[in-house]
Amino acid sequence: MSSDTPGRIVTLDADAPDGGCPSPELYRRIEGRLGYPTDLFDTPGLLQGAILRSEHAHARLLRVDTSRARTMPGVRAVVTADDVPGLNRFGIVVRDQPVFCEDRVRYEGDAIAAVAADTLAQARAALAAIEVDYEPLSLVTDATTAEQQVPLHEGGNLLTQETFHRGDPEQAFAACAVVVEHDYRTPRQMHAFMETEGGIAIPDDAVGVHFRVGCQSGHRDAEQLADILALAPGQVTVEAMATGGAFGGKDELTVQPAAGILALKTGCPVMIHLDRFESCRAGMKRHPVTVRMTTGCDADGRLLAHRVEAVLDTGAYASLGPAVLENFLDHATAPLYRIGAYSVSGRLVYTNNGVCGAFRGFGGNQATFAVESQLDALARELNLCPRELRRINLRSVDEPGSRHQPVRWTAPPVEVLRQAQASPLWSPEKGSRGRWLTGTGMAMGAQGNGLGDGLPDAGGGRISLSREGRVRVEFGFSDYGQSIGEAITHSVCEVLGCQGSDVEVMLGHSRGPDSGPTSASRSSVLVHGVLNRMLPQWMEAVRRQAAELTGYPGDDLAHGPGGVFHQGRQVLSYRELAEHGRREAMVADASQDFPVAPDQDHPVGRYLQLQIATVARVRVDRLTGRVRVTDLHHITAAGRVIYPPGYLGQIEGAAVMGLGMTLTEDMPAEDGRLRRDNLDQYLIPTFHDAPAQRVDVLDGTPENDPFPVRGVGELGIEAVAPAITAAIEAATGVRIRTLPVEPGVLLTAIHAREVVS
Amino acid sequence: MQSDVTVQPEVAGRGGVRVLRPEFPREAVAMARRFGGTYIAGASWLQPVWERRQSRPSYLVALDPGWPGFRGIEQDEGGLTIGALTTLDELASHPLVHEHLPGLGTLLDQVAGPGVRRLGTVGGNLCAGGDLSALFLALDARLHLVGHHDPKGESLVVWDAADAGFDLIQSVTLPDASPWRIAVDKLGHRERFSPTRATVASVHDGDRLRLAVSGEGGPGRLSISEAALNDGHSLSGADRIHILDTELEFRGWRDPTLRLAIQRMVDYLLAEVGHVL
Amino acid sequence: MNDLYRASEPVTFELNGETVTRSVPAATPLLDLLREDGQCTSVRPGCRIGRCGACNVLMDGQAMPACLIMAWQLPGRRIETVEGLGGDPDFLRVRQALVEESALQCGYCTPGFALSLVSGLRERRQGNPVDLGEAIAGNLCRCTGYGGLKRAVEKHLSPCSSTSSDGGTVSKKQISGEPE
Repeated sequence: MSSDTPGRIVTLDADAPDGGCPSPELYRRIEGRLGYPTDLFDTPGLLQGAILRSEHAHARLLRVDTSRARTMPGVRAVVTADDVPGLNRFGIVVRDQPVFCEDRVRYEGDAIAAVAADTLAQARAALAAIEVDYEPLSLVTDATTAEQQVPLHEGGNLLTQETFHRGDPEQAFAACAVVVEHDYRTPRQMHAFMETEGGIAIPDDAVGVHFRVGCQSGHRDAEQLADILALAPGQVTVEAMATGGAFGGKDELTVQPAAGILALKTGCPVMIHLDRFESCRAGMKRHPVTVRMTTGCDADGRLLAHRVEAVLDTGAYASLGPAVLENFLDHATAPLYRIGAYSVSGRLVYTNNGVCGAFRGFGGNQATFAVESQLDALARELNLCPRELRRINLRSVDEPGSRHQPVRWTAPPVEVLRQAQASPLWSPEKGSRGRWLTGTGMAMGAQGNGLGDGLPDAGGGRISLSREGRVRVEFGFSDYGQSIGEAITHSVCEVLGCQGSDVEVMLGHSRGPDSGPTSASRSSVLVHGVLNRMLPQWMEAVRRQAAELTGYPGDDLAHGPGGVFHQGRQVLSYRELAEHGRREAMVADASQDFPVAPDQDHPVGRYLQLQIATVARVRVDRLTGRVRVTDLHHITAAGRVIYPPGYLGQIEGAAVMGLGMTLTEDMPAEDGRLRRDNLDQYLIPTFHDAPAQRVDVLDGTPENDPFPVRGVGELGIEAVAPAITAAIEAATGVRIRTLPVEPGVLLTAIHAREVVS
Repeated sequence: MQSDVTVQPEVAGRGGVRVLRPEFPREAVAMARRFGGTYIAGASWLQPVWERRQSRPSYLVALDPGWPGFRGIEQDEGGLTIGALTTLDELASHPLVHEHLPGLGTLLDQVAGPGVRRLGTVGGNLCAGGDLSALFLALDARLHLVGHHDPKGESLVVWDAADAGFDLIQSVTLPDASPWRIAVDKLGHRERFSPTRATVASVHDGDRLRLAVSGEGGPGRLSISEAALNDGHSLSGADRIHILDTELEFRGWRDPTLRLAIQRMVDYLLAEVGHVL
Repeated sequence: MNDLYRASEPVTFELNGETVTRSVPAATPLLDLLREDGQCTSVRPGCRIGRCGACNVLMDGQAMPACLIMAWQLPGRRIETVEGLGGDPDFLRVRQALVEESALQCGYCTPGFALSLVSGLRERRQGNPVDLGEAIAGNLCRCTGYGGLKRAVEKHLSPCSSTSSDGGTVSKKQISGEPE
C-alpha cells in the first residue's frame, strides 16, 4: 500500500448483505441445545469434583489431613500434592504454579486438595472436613515495593524486567519545549465470562484421560496435562468445547489438572465447575499497572522524548505475565506516533494478590490508556487541539514501527484520524443542560496480530469430506463465541461457491490439526492463510475424484452449491462423492508460520498492525460524578471484513468490556484478599450501560495484498478508556488517570472547580 | 425478653434447611419464636447472603401471600395500604401506584432486575433498607405489624429492622400523597441492577418538607436537616450544608464524597419539589 | 404439623407442559433441580445469587432466576425453559430476531435473554406496554456489548416492528428445515 491510498470507508451494519444464511449454530445456542462443558451431566457415571482453596494469601502449609474427609458419605477420592502423578507444576511461560500446594500457599485461591464424590454437596462437605494447619507468612501486597519484601519464589519477587530504548532520551528531553509527567493506574479487571471455569475429565480405555473443557489451546494444554498426569502425550486428549466466554481467562489451565487426577484416581468421569465465588477468588485477572509516563515535545507539538516506568502485578504466579509485560511495553512505545527517543521499561513482580494472566488487550490497552492521556496533556499545555497534535505525529504507512521493525498497516493512520475528526459525535448534544455535563473525546490505538517478537507462532488446518458428504474443515482453535466457525464457513463458501449447510467446521480438538493458541488475535490471519493454501489443493483432489467417477475431464469440472458441476449442471453431489469416491484421497492440510516481516532474522514487535480511533461522548452527572457513556464511534482499520456480524460484534463487545474497566470494574485486593466475590459486587455493564455504537471500517489493502485479513478480537478495547476519560475532561475539565473512574473523586474535583469559579 | 426462643445453629448445606409453613400469621410468629426461624418471602435478598457465607438458617418460616391483607394494594381515606408480600413488580405496575406515586415506576426500574422484582417483596425491601425505604420514610409510612401480642401500628421512621424481634410486617400504609410533590433519586454504581449507594427522597406536602435516605449509610429520615430547611430561615447556605453533612456522618455515612453527592442530590430534589431555599 | 419437620418432601409442578414430581430438600434451588439430571441444561448458573439472568425460567409465564426459586415454592407452578418452547410463537419471534441481528456470541447467556424477552412479549399481549430493554435489564452478557440485542429489540421486537407477532416471519436469511 502506498501512503496516498486513503482506503474505502464503510459503516458496518449487521443488516449489510453478507451473502450467507445464519449458522445453525446460532439456533442451537438460542434453543439451549449446544452443550457447554459444564452442562455435560448426561455423562455416564459422572462424579462431581471440588477444590479446596487456601484460606490465607501467604502461609506455610504445616499439615493437610484428609483422613476424615475420605470417610465422608459419597466420597470417592481425596487428592493432595502427594497424589500428583507427574510434575506438580503448570504455567504457559513459566511452570511455577502448583496443581496442589506442597508446603506453601501464595494466594487465597491456591489449590490444596480436591475431592470427587457422587454429588457436589458431598464433595463440598468433604472439603470442609479436610484439616489444614497454616502458619501465616508476611504478605506481599504492594507491587511497587514487592521486590523489597519477602520473596514468594526462588529468585525473588522480580519475575522479569525489560527496557526498550531508542535514541538518547535525556538529550531529547533537554530539547523539549513542553514536558508532561503523570502517574496512571489501571484495575485488576476480571474476565467475568458467563460460564465459569469448568469441564470434565474422562478416563479412557487406553489408560489415558479425555478432557472436555472450556480452554483456549487444546494442544498446548494436552502437553502440560501429560506432564502433570505422567502420561504419554498420546494418552491425553483435550477437546476444547464451545465455551461460555474466555477472553484470555481460560488460556491457562484451570480445572483440568485436578479433574484429571481425580478421574485417574477414581476411574470415573469427573466434573469440576467453579461457582462464581470460587471463580472470582481463584481465576485469572488482568494485570493492574502502575506507570509513570514522561513525554515531551517541541513548541510545534512534535514528540521528541518519552519515558515510561511501569510495574505490573502478576500476582502469585507467572502465567502469561512475561508476554503481557512485553506487549505492554510495545504499546507504551506509542506505536502510532513518531518519537525521536524513548526509554520504556517495566517490571513484572510477584505478589500475594491473586493471579493475573492473559486478558483481551494483553497489557496493550493499559499502555494505550496512558500514552493517549499523555498526548492530551501535551496538547493542553500547548493549547493545541488534541487531534492536531496527533496529526503532526502520526506515522505514515511507509515508515517503520516504533521498534524500528517493518510494519504492515491496512490504511494510513492520518486517514483513520481524519475519519474520527469527522465523527458526528463532535457536534454538541441537543438539550444537554441541567444536571448533565456532556463532552466528547477521542483516542487512537494500534494493535498487532500474532504472538510477536519472533516467538514460535505457527498454525495449521485440515479439510476433508465427511462420510455424510459435508465439507469438513478442522482447526485447533477454540470457539468461545468469537464467530470463528462462521468466518471459516463464509470463507470456504466464497471459494467453493457452496452454501453454509455444505460445510462443517470442527474446532479445538487436540487430535485434530494444531493451530496454536486461540489468542493474540491470531486466528483470523492463520485461518485465511491456511485456507488459501489448502483449498486449491483440496478442490483439485476432489475434481480428480469426480473426473474418475463421471468420466468428464477434471479441468472441465467446477465446484458449486452442494457438489461438483459440469457446464453449469451438478454432476455429483458431495454426498455422492463421499459414498462413491475415495474419501482418503480428498483430504488436504496445510500449516503456516504467522506472518512476520520479511528479511528479519530476529523479528521484534508485531508486523501486522491494526488501528482504531474511538470517539466517545459522555454525560457526567454534576450531582454525583457518575459517568454515562452515551455513544462510541469506532473507526477501525483491520483489513478485509470476512463476516460482518462477527467483526461488528467483536468491536462492540470489546468496547463495552473496556467501558466496564473504565467505569466500574475492579477487583481490589486488601491484605491479599480479593474484595469482590460475585456479580452483585463486581459490576459489569448491563444493557442500559451500553452506549449506542457505530463501527466504521477503513480498508486500504489492495486486492492482491498477501495479508488482507486481520484478527479483530482485541482491537475494540484498545482506545476506549482514554477516549472516555478525554470525553470526561471535555465535559468537566477534570482529567482522570486512575481507572476505574471513581465518581467520588471526579465529583470532588468538579466541586472544587465550581468553588473556584 | 425472648427467653422462650430456641436459637438453632446455622447449617452449611441446603439439605439441612427445614421450611415451616404456618397457616396463618400468628402461627408464623409462634413458629419463628419457637424454632428461631427466619421469615422468608421472596428470598431474593436473603439467599445471596446465605450463598455468600455458605451457611443458612436451620428453619425458614414461609410467609403466605394468601393471608388476608398481606398482598395487594388498597386505597381508603387513610391512604394507600400495600401488603408486605406484594412483589416489587406488582407494586410497579399497579394502577393505584401510577395514580398516586407516578415516579415510583421509574425508581423501581432501577431496583434489582425484573426477574428479582417478581420475587422480591415490599416488606423484604424495607427490612433490607432498600430503595423503597428512603421514599417510604419521607412519606411517613406506617407499618402494620403482627407480633406475639396484638397487631399494632408503628411509624416506619421509628421502626428498626434489626430490633424488630419476630414482629411480622403485614402491610404498610402511605398517607394520601396525591397533592404532595415527591422527588426521589438513586445513585448506583451502574445504570441498572446496582446496589444503591444512596437513594434520596424528598417530599413536600405544601407546608413541610421531608427528607430521607437509604443506601450505604443505612436508611433514615434526615430530621435535623429537615428542621433546618423548614424552620431555619435565618441559617446561611453554608450552615445548612454543614448540618446535612454532620447529620449524614452521624447516621453512618462515612464516605465524604458520597455525602457530597447526597448534598447535591438533595439540592436538586428540593428544587424538584419546589422548595425555595 | 408433622410434615413440617421433614427436610425432603415431594413437590409436584408443571415443567414444559408435563407434570413432574421430585423429592428433594425443600431449600433446593430450582436451578439445581433442572440441571442435575441433564434435562434442562439451558438453565445455567452464572452467579447463583439472582444477579445475571443466565438461569432464567418462566414461572407462570414470567421470567425469574431459577437460583432464587426454592423447591418448596414450586407446587402448583408452571415452569418453562427454552427446551419446551419449540412451538411457542413468542419464542420463535424472539429467536428469529436474535438470529437476524447475530445478537449472541458464546450463547451461554442467550436462553436467559430469550426468556426475558418472551416474558416481555407475553406481558405485552396482556395489554401492558412493556419496554423490552427494561425486560432484559437483569440479564448480563459479557460478549456482545449488547449491540445485537439492542438491534434485535428495536428493529424486530418493538410493538410497531414490521414482523408479524405470530412467529411466522419469513426472512431472506431464515434457514430451511431443522438445523443439524
